[in-house]
Amino acid sequence: MHITESLSLMDKLNILSDAAKYDVACTSSGIDRSGNGKGMGNTLAPGICHTFSADGRCVSLLKILFTNECIFRCAYCQNNCNTDVPRASFTPDEVCTLTMEFYRRNYIEGLFLSSGILVSPSYTMELIYQTIYKLRNIHRFNGYIHVKAIPGADPLLIEKTGFLADRMSINMELPTAQSLRALAPNKSRTTILKPMRMIQSGITQNRYDVALYRQAPHFVPAGQSTQMIIGATPESDYQVIKVAESLYQNFELKRVFYSAFINVTHSSQLPALPGGPPLLREHRLYQADWLLRYYHFQADELLSETRPDFNVFLDPKCDWALRHLEYFPVEINRADYKTLLRVPGIGAKSAKRIVTARRMNRLDFADLKKIGVVLKRALYFITCSGKMMYNTKLEEDYICQNLMRDKTQIPKEFRHSGYEQLSLFDAEHLADFGINANKCSSLL
Amino acid sequence: MYTFICENNIDGIFTGVYDAWASRYGHKNIRLLSQPPANYELFQEYITVIPDCNKSEKVARTLKNRLGEEVHYLICQAILANELTTRKGGLDKADCVYRTIVLGLAMNDGTKVLQALGEPYVHRVFELSRATEAESHHLLGFLRFSELENGVLFATIHPKNNVLPVLGEHFTDRLPMENFLIYDEVRRLAIIHKAGKHYLIADASTLNQDIIKRYSEKELEYRRLWCAFFDSIAIDTRKNPALQQQNIPKRFWKDTVELSGTHNEKIP
Repeated sequence: MHITESLSLMDKLNILSDAAKYDVACTSSGIDRSGNGKGMGNTLAPGICHTFSADGRCVSLLKILFTNECIFRCAYCQNNCNTDVPRASFTPDEVCTLTMEFYRRNYIEGLFLSSGILVSPSYTMELIYQTIYKLRNIHRFNGYIHVKAIPGADPLLIEKTGFLADRMSINMELPTAQSLRALAPNKSRTTILKPMRMIQSGITQNRYDVALYRQAPHFVPAGQSTQMIIGATPESDYQVIKVAESLYQNFELKRVFYSAFINVTHSSQLPALPGGPPLLREHRLYQADWLLRYYHFQADELLSETRPDFNVFLDPKCDWALRHLEYFPVEINRADYKTLLRVPGIGAKSAKRIVTARRMNRLDFADLKKIGVVLKRALYFITCSGKMMYNTKLEEDYICQNLMRDKTQIPKEFRHSGYEQLSLFDAEHLADFGINANKCSSLL
Repeated sequence: MYTFICENNIDGIFTGVYDAWASRYGHKNIRLLSQPPANYELFQEYITVIPDCNKSEKVARTLKNRLGEEVHYLICQAILANELTTRKGGLDKADCVYRTIVLGLAMNDGTKVLQALGEPYVHRVFELSRATEAESHHLLGFLRFSELENGVLFATIHPKNNVLPVLGEHFTDRLPMENFLIYDEVRRLAIIHKAGKHYLIADASTLNQDIIKRYSEKELEYRRLWCAFFDSIAIDTRKNPALQQQNIPKRFWKDTVELSGTHNEKIP
């Protein structure tokens, strides 16, 4: 580890934003708070993206580490104490000035502060606390703040921080305790789940306090989130979404983020990924994540022990629909909201619009198109006033063949990326996912 | 048939709605236009509507009372939309607003009028309203302030729709103690906000173009820091310019600091 003396603010920002970039969460959502008329800042529940970096990801918060002088040695992390990267630390004042000046110019929506472990977890948490205390109380910053809770830090410090931040997160890092033990020897399931549980009960308790006293301070009002690395360890998609589901159900998390593994440390413990990071897999996991959160799906409906991975060729919802044709066709003018949600091509917004619009008049396919239903996917599964759009068969092979002709099933960026070069499109691979290769020969 | 030609703004169209309703010609015989037609038709009587604040105020009040605040807000948003860029050749904006109001007032529960998406004119109002909403939400993020010599924050935008009222509300709430100016270069209008006061929208065709280029001392430094942050936050192995462009459409690039491509030249 080499620590350079007297770095300029520019150098520090370069080092510490570069060190933070593998953290996925950059959302500013979950809380509506209007300005207080004196300080600076407000927040909007849907969040605001301020720009998009060259990798196409949203930049909403000033995402930095407080320091990357870390004493931990997590194998997957470029800041672990054995790597040879330049090290730097901000001072609380520098973080405050940067945040305020960027926010004033409408560059950012707030601050995302994470950190490497300097000296000890509690020492680091104390520094983070001081920083956001200054930001809130001296600079009167009223915008969005997302902070990481450091695993193993003093619970009191985490609680004090929670009253100043909007969202807190503790990274799961890896889906199973076993992998965590192998790759992150300084962290354990307990040090991660304990503070997570603590924040959860804090939020629940705070809900009562706020109901009782309107002026009571809010504790982590935008909820907590977490992140898992995908593809560094041999877990299946089924294991990953089971973990995500239990986090949503038992820990009331707002979001679980997935990050396709990138081998930055070139450690021998980790897989080399010649085809680039598993972006398509990450994409499928996010699609499934949405199904869990907004579409009333259960993890066990999507995958099982015997089918542990997602279909590469079809999105999880189409894949589910093809295996459950007994639910279809669905009559648009009659089906209830939850049934509509299960139709491929109908999203949460269009399902809501259908339910309200059909009170006024019967809907036909032209209306559905205007409402925003993706008919090229939905048409095999729906009827309007008892009629299908075209003369289509309700047959797995037939629909599958047609759905795969839809280029958006595998988004463009993945089709042309290295992922495809793993010869995904050979007949054997298709058979793995129960797709009849002969019928799809036109696609190969 | 009678055609009412309105001015293309909230007051103009609301006055048109008032006049058309008060004329008692019958809804079927009335048509509203938000701009003069390219070709005048035979057997058609054209009436030019002169905007009147009192009439427009009355219409707004009726909308709020009978159709609810939300419908009023969405209709205003639809009027602010630019119909030329939102599906060319669609139904006329003023006419759709009029018919939507007529339908809403005839319903038992007028607050649900915008749910009748099966009606083409309601759908058009919905579509126009969404266009303004989407663009203003984009600009809440993509707009960039620069600090001028005198400490005023200045931003230039080139929106398709007239989004200034939406931006004004947002930034007044967000930066109450700042003096700022948001200049819509397409319409030559500007939001002027003085610290601690409410904002106002004014004609800015005589804006002094020199003052807005004189930045404060710190301005370039923070621009440089921001661009450095922007560059280092991207992950090289995930580089994806198509996705970037899809998320932040090119037309917004020239008004941002980090994507305009000019930040490097300005650095001394």
